This record gives sequence, structure tokens and C-alpha cells, in this order.
Amino acid sequence: MNVSYRWLRELAPTLETDPNLTADRLASLGFPVEGTERLAEGMDGLVVGRVTQVRAHPNADRLRLCDVDPGDGETVQVVCGAPVIQEGGLYPFAPVGSTLPGGMEIRKARLRGESSSGMLCSEKELGLGSDAGGIMQLPASLTPGQPLVDALGLEDVRMDVEVTSNRPDLLSHRGIAREVAPGGSHDLVLPPIPGASEELERMLDGVKVVTGAGEATAETLTVRIEDAERCPAYLGLVLRGVTVEPSPPWLAQRLRAAGARPINNVVDATNYVLLELGHPLHAFDLDQVAERTVIVRRAGEGEILRTLDGADRTLVSDDLVIADPRGAMAVAGVMGGLDSEVGPETRDVLLECALFTPGPIRTTRKRLGLSTDASYRFERGVDPEGLREAILRAARIILATAGGRVDGPVVEARPEPFRRRKVELRVARVETVLGIEFSPERIRELLSPLGLGVEGSVDGVMEVEVPGFRSWDLTREVDLIEEVARTHGYDAFPETLAPFRPGTVPDDPLFVLEDRLRDDLVAQGFFEAHTLAFSPPEEGEVELLNPVSVVEGTLRRSILPGLLRRVAYNLARGNRDLRLFEIGTTFRHGDAGALPREDTTLAVVLHGRRNPPHWSTSDEPLDPWDLKGVVESLAARIPGAEVLVPETCEEDPVAGAIFEGDPLLQVRDSKDGTRGWAGILDLSSVDLPPWSGVVWGAEIRLPRNPDLPEAAPYRALPTRPGVERDLALLVPDDRPVGPLLALIREGGGPDFRGLDVFDVYEGGEVPEGHRSVAVRLRFRADDRTLTDREVDDQVHALTIRLKEEFGVEIRDGRS
Amino acid sequence: MSQTPTLVEELQRLEKDALQEVERSDTPESLEEVRISFLGRKDGRISGILRRLGSLDPEERPRVGQTANQVKARLQSALDRRREQLEQGSGEAQGAQWDLTLPARRSWVGGRHPVTRVVDELVAIFGTLGFTRARGPEAETEWYNFEALNTPLDHPAADEQDTLYLKGGHLLRSHTSPVQVRVMENHQPPIRVLAPGMVYRRDSYDATHTPGFAQLEGLVVDEGITFVDLKATLAEFARLYWGPGTRVRFRPSFFPFTEPSAEVDVKRVVRDSEGELRESDWLEIMGAGMVDPAVLDAAGIDSERYTGFAFGMGPGRIGLLKYGIPDLRLYLDNDVRFLQQFTQP
Repeated sequence: MNVSYRWLRELAPTLETDPNLTADRLASLGFPVEGTERLAEGMDGLVVGRVTQVRAHPNADRLRLCDVDPGDGETVQVVCGAPVIQEGGLYPFAPVGSTLPGGMEIRKARLRGESSSGMLCSEKELGLGSDAGGIMQLPASLTPGQPLVDALGLEDVRMDVEVTSNRPDLLSHRGIAREVAPGGSHDLVLPPIPGASEELERMLDGVKVVTGAGEATAETLTVRIEDAERCPAYLGLVLRGVTVEPSPPWLAQRLRAAGARPINNVVDATNYVLLELGHPLHAFDLDQVAERTVIVRRAGEGEILRTLDGADRTLVSDDLVIADPRGAMAVAGVMGGLDSEVGPETRDVLLECALFTPGPIRTTRKRLGLSTDASYRFERGVDPEGLREAILRAARIILATAGGRVDGPVVEARPEPFRRRKVELRVARVETVLGIEFSPERIRELLSPLGLGVEGSVDGVMEVEVPGFRSWDLTREVDLIEEVARTHGYDAFPETLAPFRPGTVPDDPLFVLEDRLRDDLVAQGFFEAHTLAFSPPEEGEVELLNPVSVVEGTLRRSILPGLLRRVAYNLARGNRDLRLFEIGTTFRHGDAGALPREDTTLAVVLHGRRNPPHWSTSDEPLDPWDLKGVVESLAARIPGAEVLVPETCEEDPVAGAIFEGDPLLQVRDSKDGTRGWAGILDLSSVDLPPWSGVVWGAEIRLPRNPDLPEAAPYRALPTRPGVERDLALLVPDDRPVGPLLALIREGGGPDFRGLDVFDVYEGGEVPEGHRSVAVRLRFRADDRTLTDREVDDQVHALTIRLKEEFGVEIRDGRS
Repeated sequence: MSQTPTLVEELQRLEKDALQEVERSDTPESLEEVRISFLGRKDGRISGILRRLGSLDPEERPRVGQTANQVKARLQSALDRRREQLEQGSGEAQGAQWDLTLPARRSWVGGRHPVTRVVDELVAIFGTLGFTRARGPEAETEWYNFEALNTPLDHPAADEQDTLYLKGGHLLRSHTSPVQVRVMENHQPPIRVLAPGMVYRRDSYDATHTPGFAQLEGLVVDEGITFVDLKATLAEFARLYWGPGTRVRFRPSFFPFTEPSAEVDVKRVVRDSEGELRESDWLEIMGAGMVDPAVLDAAGIDSERYTGFAFGMGPGRIGLLKYGIPDLRLYLDNDVRFLQQFTQP
């Protein structure tokens, strides 16, 4: 909300002269001032000048030579192109050395041979209006030499006040004045309208009001409300014999100061009242209102109305329109129609001041994609009590600036009279919510400046009457409690930390698991990345209705493609040896009508060298066993997860699109099936430098509610020495080693304690088509020192099984 | 007369001689000579004593055998150690060969994302105040994102965060507040939870906006929770996070799901470029308020008996303030030169 501080102080003369103090107070009340702007900026050098003599320019027919007295009695010569300059007249004068609001500096110049020392200014040059043709004539009451800013009352500050959506009453100067003035509503005055004669005041004071329920009629006008739910009140007033022309400076200046654009005196009068009192009004050209009858009704399905902005709007039966018996004239509460617009030809005007129900206004303006000052206020809530005051205020300004007269009464259709709500406030409840005690007297002291009617406490309950302008946000006890806290001042509450009871909600185990996985990965030299869940259409199945862009049109099924793009981003910037991970959400379709299926998913990418480069060794690239090591360390943290080499890669569209060829490893869960995959990433979708090589990646869906293991109990350290035996297995190339190791682990004998593979060797004495896999077996008994014999027996039994079940021979000489 | 003392003494003497000779050896060859002279199978002096064990009194045998084996083991390990020294060059003798001004061998260093670090810090501080973590889905219904939070769909407040909708009528949560409702539906007070998570809004990318960002929600519901508790808890948090000299300010504000509502600002004590301590500007760090009774009622909690407060903040934004990061988009670029700035402490 743009606020003219000058206007605000006219409404509340008790306000500080310093706008910064008022801005601070607004902020402390919850309405921060986003910015302030001094409107007279750049005009300080300008003065009122008197033109003492006008002569023809000897060398140019269209130019004149003016002698200007800038106030010190010493006239200067100014060359001027304006057609009408009166001798003795007062005009805005920019002396040499001054600047115009646009920043142009005035210098001494020579025009067609004649010197010019300064400039006489038009409204446009001063930023005060659109009239560029003539020099702006100033009232004769001013004195030459007077600073123009003072003379025209331009000293003003525009404040941009942030008004929260619960406070529509603050979308007007009077509303803000009421909120911020020291005495609140008690300090308000309504400033007089310049140029309103006594006769005019008498005429307006004498205007009667004709009220009806669904319909109200006078000779001049009939108003009929057909949808009382959406239009609780509609007031019309006929004005005749107006002259539509540009507004006088005071009116135009006031609108401009509040950030509005002046149009003509009639429209400006309605906008003035909107900005001053918060009531949107509309003026129709009365000649365009058939049968002088206004009908508030639902639009016909497909009814077309050309609105003020020139667009043809196709309406639906859910929209409310203001119509005459022929057809729609305005989209109620949103925008008027072009045909009934007030223009230079208009002589008679129908003024409208109405109340529309917020929700439907919002629906209509959203559907039409049309937000106006009127709709903005109506969809938040307009004061149901101030309609008569507003329509008469607008009439007063129109008659004072455009002439004419009131014809007939205010015709008011109002199906239900407005009744102020009474809200009960329990004194004890205030303390229950706010934590400190407030007496009924103190509560009354805090609430009554807001314009609330506060009764004394009866049995600890106070009855608070809410005026119309707060009827939208003060409906419940807690709303009043907030007003008590706010006007008391949040800073006035203590900050005493009280004891608390522990909560009943256990720490979510998935967060705990995430923490553990992060710790593991960071310890292994990975950086955590954050990417957003949006993905291009081909990478996601859950679609957005209103995405930010097409490439963010879906929600990702997998994190790896986005993480791969981060790898490409880094490689393009010369960053190498990338090890990144992310824990984020992935999305798949849910059941019909249900929310999408979400998984918290862990993705890892590795690229480049196994270790940081060091002068002592040559670089080694990562290989699949590095990947397997990372994946196994993660799977070990995830309850139920195990890492397998997939024998056949089942059809998995997600994995299929991510990896080059089949994934190399699979993470499975005994209950949930596949948890994830690891392998070499398909790089066809990203632009990588030619030297980049292989990017390894893994992705694992985490269990929603992991059953995290308790800390394992201590196991006594062995007191007996262990025995090691090395075996060299001759394994055919087409036989994987994994099952052999599994057999050893499972059948190693009672004293078997573990194994390491310490060499895999081909060539030399190893027969063609075989590998020699060297395995170190560890044996130990807890209760005695094993003898060679015992161990030999167990190893022997193993070798027999390996031979029988897998046909694997033991290489001589190593056992 | 027993031979034992003599044999044991002899073993001890032999060990002393052997160890001296090991130390004196300065080539692998001379070391091997020492080994053969003491431990050689044929003529080794200690081996010789072991061979004589058989002729000893059976009662003395174990003691001499044990001593001999211990000596043998100690000598073997001294030989091994010396051999290693000779092969690599010893610290004293060959220190000059180790140019330790050359760079060390390092491991890869990783780190948590700065936004995660901030979340971790917040969780730790609120953990000391009794809060546990809760979570909810990122794709939500209009009910949880708006209506259960006292935000009717036809009220302008539902527009203030431009919501991203999914085809089919659901949406991406525009704040973490839906978790409040889900927690209250499933747990009875006392409730003290934090809900960190991603939220989404239809914003274009710029220095202070991204269409997705982290938020952290807090909720307390119990008997006797008041506005004073809200102020005390959040002021305590602010001083624990931003430092003991921090000033905290509460300003009225509006959120449909809290009443009274507040914006919380802090003024930190920071060191300026000249090293002088001075106060920063007021920084907006979170929104908060007493849980609106309509929200409690919608979640099935008796709003006459219980009151509560809630707050929400943006860890990403807090990171900007804390680390002086100029642009939110740096979080999403994930340039490792950026990420590695946040590995300490």
C-alpha cells in the first residue's frame, strides 16, 4: 500500500512530523515500511517566477523572449516556446544551475541568437502531470522567489507499507492513520475538500437515502440485487451536469503521491475515496444505463463483456455482474465495462458503492487473470459500514471539481442490515495464551483505540463489539487476544524460559539413518550436494501442473541424472576427481487419486582417481571394486540391505536409463526387493570433456521406517592365538569367486573365523583358462590353542567340498 | 649340582652380546652374519644351548627352554627391526634422506552441504531444548498445506506463496507446516518436534529465490504453553546460535495458522573489517506464533486444554547470513570449490 505521508497527517494530525518515526511504529505494529521516497526530490532549486515582460523573438516566429523575475527583483531573459505567456503571471521557474526532476541541469543557452538564462516549466517537465503544451500557471496568491516545493505543497514522502492479507482495513490512508495515530480512532478527522462551496456542502448534507432489501427504487434510479449472498449491499447515486476534464492540481497531486495515475476528475474522485477510505467505487456514464436500472446478477454462461482495458471477457455463470436490463455493464468488484465508461462526453454519472463477498470475487479475478485495486480490496474484505460515507465523499469531490448537482437520493439495496459482531473475551484466557496477566481495565485501554467497543468484565468475561472495518479479521476470542498482545507490544513480554515436559514423538529413525550415511560418506571423502527434485519430462513420471519451466516439468524418479549434471558442471570448471552424494526425495506415481509415492533416496557418484595425487606414486583410476566398497559400506548401515552381483538384470526402466549397459551391482532388501543399483553411468545425456572417462554411480532407496539395530554388546577379546592357512584356489575363468567364498564362510568348520582374498593371479604356472585365487583363512578357538592337526582337518574338509561342489582344485605348494 | 643358573646366565649374556652386535651391524650382510652366529641351525650359539636341553634334568628343562625361546624371540625381532632400518635408512643416520618438506600423502576430504550443516546445528540446539525430529511428505494435499492450517483456499493468504501444483490436484508443500498437522494427528501432547525438509514455490531463480529450498519447522503443544514460552524458547535459541550478545526482537505479523503471530529478528555482535566489535543490522530469521486454535481443532487436539507455539525458518537463508554467502543459487550449483569451504570445524 502506497501512502502519502502528507495525506496521512491530514487524516491524523496527531502523527509525528517525521515519517521515519511513523514508519518505525508501523513496523512494530506488524506492518513494515518497505521503502520511503521523498516526492519533491530534485525540485529544490525551482522557484515561483513572475514574467514581467513578453517580447517577440527577433529570429523565430514561434519563440518568445520573457523577462522573468525570480524573486530578487533582477529579471533574467528566458527564451520560451509556449504560445500563451501572460505578463505579470506566475510560473514555475528553473534558474541556471538548478535541475529538473528528471535530472536535467539548466544551463545558460543561446537560442537563435538570443540568450536564455533559465527555463519556465510545464507540468510534465516537473513530473506533476501530462500537460506538456503549456507552461504551468501558478495561483496569483504565491510570491515570486518562493521555493516551488513549498508553494505547491509538494513536500511529501511516499511510504510503501506492507499490509498483511488479514488486514484489509489498512488498504486505505484512514485505516493506516487509525492504526498508527497515538490515540487511534479518536484522533481521526476527515479533511475538507478544496473548492467545495457552502452551497455544495448543504446540498450533500441534504441528500436522502432510500433503502430497500432486495430492491430499492427512487425516481432517478432502481437498484435490484438478485444474488444477496454475493452482494450484501449496493448503493447508487445519480449526478447530473458534470464536466469531465483533467483534475485540479491538488487532486492529481494527491493521487500521484499515493502512486495512482490521474485520469479525469470523475474517475479520480472515485480513486481518491478508494485510497482515502478503502472503498472501491465505480462511475458509469448514466446515458449508457438502460432504464436507469441496475441489476446485480450472475453472468450468463458465455456472456461477453468488453472491459475498460479493451479486452472481451467471456463470463461464466459463477461470475457476478452489474447489469442494466440490456446486459452486463461491469464485472462486479473487478472491472467496469468499456461501453459505460465515463469520458469527456459524459454529462450525467451513476456512482456505485457496493459490497461484494470476498471468495467469489477472488475466483472470478483469478479466472480472468485480472487483479485491480478494487478486486484486491474486495477479496480481502471492505468495510460494510462505510458505504454511504464513501459515496457521498466521492460525490462531494466530483461536484467540487466537475460541477453538476445531485439528482435524487442515494438508492441503497441491502437485503440484510449489517449488525456488529459481539465477541466474548475471557480475561483468564488472555493469560492462558499470553502468559502474563491483563486486568479488564488494561484490556479496555489496549482495545478501545482500535475502534472496538469494550464492555466491562462480567464474571470474568468482557463483551467486545467489532466495528465493520475490523469485521473480517476479528471474529474469535483469540483474534482479540492477538490485538491485546500487539498493542501491549511484543517487546514488553518477558523471556523467562520455563521447565518443559519431554515430548511423546520419537526422533524419526530415517533422519538418524541419514545422519549415519552422511557421516560414512563424508569420512570416505564425499561432498554432499543439494539439487532440486524437478526433472525434465523424460526423467520423471509425476507431472507438475504449473512448472517453473518445461525442463523442470516433472518430479524426479531418480537422483543420479541430476547429480550427473552437477558432475558435468564441475568438470566444465576444471574440478576433477569428483565424489558427490545426495540424500533427497524421489517420486513415483501413487495409487489412483492418492499422493505420489515418495522415497528418501541416496545417490553417489565417483569420478577420477582413487586417491589424491602424490609425488611418490603414479595415479590409479577408480575401478569397480572401489564402487563396490562404497556401496557395501552404505548397505551395511541400511537395515536389511545386501549387495549382490545381479545374475540377470531384471527389467528396471529407471536403472536402464541411468546406467551404461546393465548395472554392475544390485542392493536388495530381504523384504522390499530391490533397493538400488550401482554401475557405470550413461553419459549420453550430459556434455563432458573428452578426457573425463568413466563416472561411477549408485543409488539406493532408503527404508521409510528403518528398524535401526541396537548397539551390539561387547564381545570378549580372544585369549588364544589364532592360526592362519593360505589356500590357492584354481578357479576356472567362467566361474565367479563369490560362491566359493560363500561356501568357505558357511562351511569353514567350527573354528573358522574369517578369510581374506590376498591375490588373484593368472599366467605363469597357472593352467590356461584359470585364475589362482589366494585366500588366507583364519581359525581360532576360544577355549584352547588349536593344534596344527585340528586346523589341517578343517582345511582338508573344505578343500574336498570345494572340489566336489565347484570342481576347484587347490594349487600345490601353498597350503 | 644344578646347571640351570649357569645356562640361564649364559643365555642372558649371549642375548646381551647379540643385541650389541645387531646394533653395530650396518649392512644387511653383517646382520646376516650375526644371525647365523647366534641363531644358525648348525653353529648358532643359542641353538647350541637349545640342543643341549635334552641332556638336562627334566625338572630344569622347562625353565631353560622357556628362557631360551624368549631370548630367541627377542633376538629375532631385534634382527627384523634392524633389517628394516638398514633397508629403509634409519631416522638418526639417514634423516637427511627424508625430505619432509615434500607434501604429505593425503586422503580425500569430504563434507556436508552447508545447508545440511545449518540444519544439523539447529537440530542440535533445539535438541538441548527437548525437540525431536519428525517428517512428512513433500507432495501434499490441499488439506494439509492449506485448509488444516486455517487457510481457506479462497482466501488471499493461500496465494501468498505461489504454490506448485501436480497434475491430478495435489501439490508440492509450500512450507513444512503440514508436518505440524500430521504430527498432531498421530501423537498426543506433550509435543516438541522439529520438521526439517524441502519446500517448493513457483519462484524464478535469483539471488534470494529458488523454486525449492530447505525449511525447518518447530512445534510445541502442551498444557500451559504461552506466548512467553514462545519468546523465551526462540530468544534462547537465537542466543545459542548467534552468540550470547545477540539481541532478539519480536514483531507482530500474520500467518493464518498462528495467532498471535510474530516475525523474529536478531541483531548480532560481529567483528568488522577493522576488527572492532559492532552490532549488525536487524536480520529477519524466522516467523513464529501461538498455534491457532482452529489448527489444533482440525488436528483433533482439544484447543481449550492445550495451547502451543510454532515457528519456521529457512536454513539456506540462515546460511547466507552466517557464512556471508551472496546468492542462494550457489547452494544448487554444488561447485566443489564452494562445498569444500564448509568442512571446518
